[in-house]
Amino acid sequence: MKKKLNIEGMHCASCASNVERSLKNVKGVKSVSVGIMTKKGFVEVEDNVKDEDLINAVKKVGYKVTGIENA
Amino acid sequence: MKEHNHEEPVEDYEIRMWKRKLIWGWALTIPIAILMLLMRVFNIEIFSETTTLIINLVLAFPVIFIIGWTTLNSGIKGFISFYFNMDSLISLGTIVAYFTGILSLFGLVQDYSGVAAMIMAFFITGKYVETLARGRASKEIKKLLEMGAKNARVLRNNIEIEIPISDVKLNEIMVVKPGEKIPTDGIVVKGESSVDESMVTGESIPTEKKINSNVIGATINQDGILYVKASKVGSDTFLAHIIQLLEETQSSKIPIQKLADQITSIFVPVILLITLFTFFNWWYFTDLNRAISTGVAVLVIACPCALGLATPTALMVGSGMGAKNGILIRKGEAIQTMKEVKIVVFDKTGTITKGKPEVREVFGEGLEIAASLEKLSEHPIAKSIVNYANLKKYKDVKNFKVLRGRGVEGTINGKKIVIGNSTLMKENKILLSKFEDALYKFENSGYTTMIIAENKKAIGAIGVADAVKDDSKEAIALLNKAGYKTVMITGDNERTAKAIAREVGISDVIANVLPEEKAMKVKELQLQGFVAFIGDGINDAPALKQANVGIAIGTGTDIAIEAGDIVLAKGSLVDVVKAINLSKATFSKIKQNLFWAFAYNTIAIPLAIGGVLHPVVAEIAMALSSITVVTNANLLRRKKI
Repeated sequence: MKKKLNIEGMHCASCASNVERSLKNVKGVKSVSVGIMTKKGFVEVEDNVKDEDLINAVKKVGYKVTGIENA
Repeated sequence: MKEHNHEEPVEDYEIRMWKRKLIWGWALTIPIAILMLLMRVFNIEIFSETTTLIINLVLAFPVIFIIGWTTLNSGIKGFISFYFNMDSLISLGTIVAYFTGILSLFGLVQDYSGVAAMIMAFFITGKYVETLARGRASKEIKKLLEMGAKNARVLRNNIEIEIPISDVKLNEIMVVKPGEKIPTDGIVVKGESSVDESMVTGESIPTEKKINSNVIGATINQDGILYVKASKVGSDTFLAHIIQLLEETQSSKIPIQKLADQITSIFVPVILLITLFTFFNWWYFTDLNRAISTGVAVLVIACPCALGLATPTALMVGSGMGAKNGILIRKGEAIQTMKEVKIVVFDKTGTITKGKPEVREVFGEGLEIAASLEKLSEHPIAKSIVNYANLKKYKDVKNFKVLRGRGVEGTINGKKIVIGNSTLMKENKILLSKFEDALYKFENSGYTTMIIAENKKAIGAIGVADAVKDDSKEAIALLNKAGYKTVMITGDNERTAKAIAREVGISDVIANVLPEEKAMKVKELQLQGFVAFIGDGINDAPALKQANVGIAIGTGTDIAIEAGDIVLAKGSLVDVVKAINLSKATFSKIKQNLFWAFAYNTIAIPLAIGGVLHPVVAEIAMALSSITVVTNANLLRRKKI
């Protein structure tokens, strides 16, 4: 299953790579790609991964998910 | 901080935010700069040293801690979570510099609080210019987002009413007047008109639409009134798919970026260590003041930002330019792979040719039998025979069977009928001696030949030809000239295939290939070099996947197909050439950007460590590096593809 996350607060490339790293550490996440230009993250996850887990992973490194949808 | 309205593009909001910061930042910093300039350069002291110091501290405080708060906040979070970012560096740099001002009140160190404000002001300036340039880089996707119709006129209880686009339901009839946007994807149920589809497919010539034509939402109705039944709404529409696809590509990574990413991910902690080392080194060998100044310079110059922006900005501009021309890059990786491609393989039907075969010649008998049998098949060739025969009544067929890639068989009036290519005839041990001349002639004309056999005896043959697309020849000539080996792959026999290849100027032909063998043939060609395969996204999916770069030709609304690294919205093969050129141009832009970013960091950081750069100069250089990269990416637009 693929999810699209709108992420707020990323100012630079290292922000994007931080978010990416944090999302990758969530159990059940298969692949992550966070775009600094688009301010969006595309996450391939197992079906049992909850949206909250992803939102919290982004929050943990200091950014905010403003929207999440199935892509 | 105010939450921003999600309807407006992120960049617009950011641009406004940075602009506000920019104005306030400089309003407070310019007095500091003037005082500093007068004192350092002209030796004029308007105020006493302590008063100047207090003025600096008072003016610099809001610049750093209020205007710069978003940056400090993000940077400090980085320190707390150990997920450092570039804001961490600038935060540490400005905070340390500011506190030297407080310490200097007690005569402990030299005052750098004014410098801190200037660093922040330049940082904000850089961010503002960078955001502006990023806004330009994303202008195509913004255009797509704004393109959708806002309202629709629908027929409800036979009355035309205007409703917001989000209220349109599936299968509802929409009325589209000349000059209006078609609100959403649908099928024409009444009326005739031409529709300008250039904004979504890049096709500049308006397309004629009549009953049962598919129309795409956001395209513009030209001259007639169209009644359109909505077939897709909301996130299912063609436009929504393109936007989604583009956003995904622009968020994706290209292999060449990996090194830059690895560097950015360890960059900040490494710089922090280097700063500590520099600081203590200078403190030990010179004095605390120089140590602070040098340390701050290292912190602010060492921004991995240019490195991180190098690839995504160019990818954004490149993919946006593509989208405008009906070239959709689905996998960013294709941009990098494209430059290695040596062999370009085309599927014949529907790619080089129009995919609408027509019967050109009939030899012998059996047309009626053929049409009755082919009536049961979905194959385009079968349809062409049925159309050509145009029968009023069809014969009864029993035991009908499709023999994939070869033909069909069945029983009519107790007689076993086999219709298909010569391979099928050979399999059935059917002699073709009587037909040799006719077959030879058919095949040399590039006709696909279907032989009709009744009870194991050939009775007739039908020559079917699929006209070559108008610009196939031009596209292939361009590729040949650019040094690519061009190959055509087809289920046709050798002679038919060669006749078509000759017509369009393709050098190599792989004939007699069953649909499921195409991927294998691509694999064989890959022994000679990287292969780009061009075919339709439905039948050729495995071959598209096997190829190093798969280019799927879409027609109209089936663009959402999952196959292919690049999808061409129009059927034109000239777009294959454009896609190759665009990929190469984008990739070379990425390389340039990475070069500049690396060069900047490898030169500037040692200079800062060596104490040669004043912290403010370091900050200006840092801001310029990001601006250079983003601006350079925008220059890609100048390239004609």
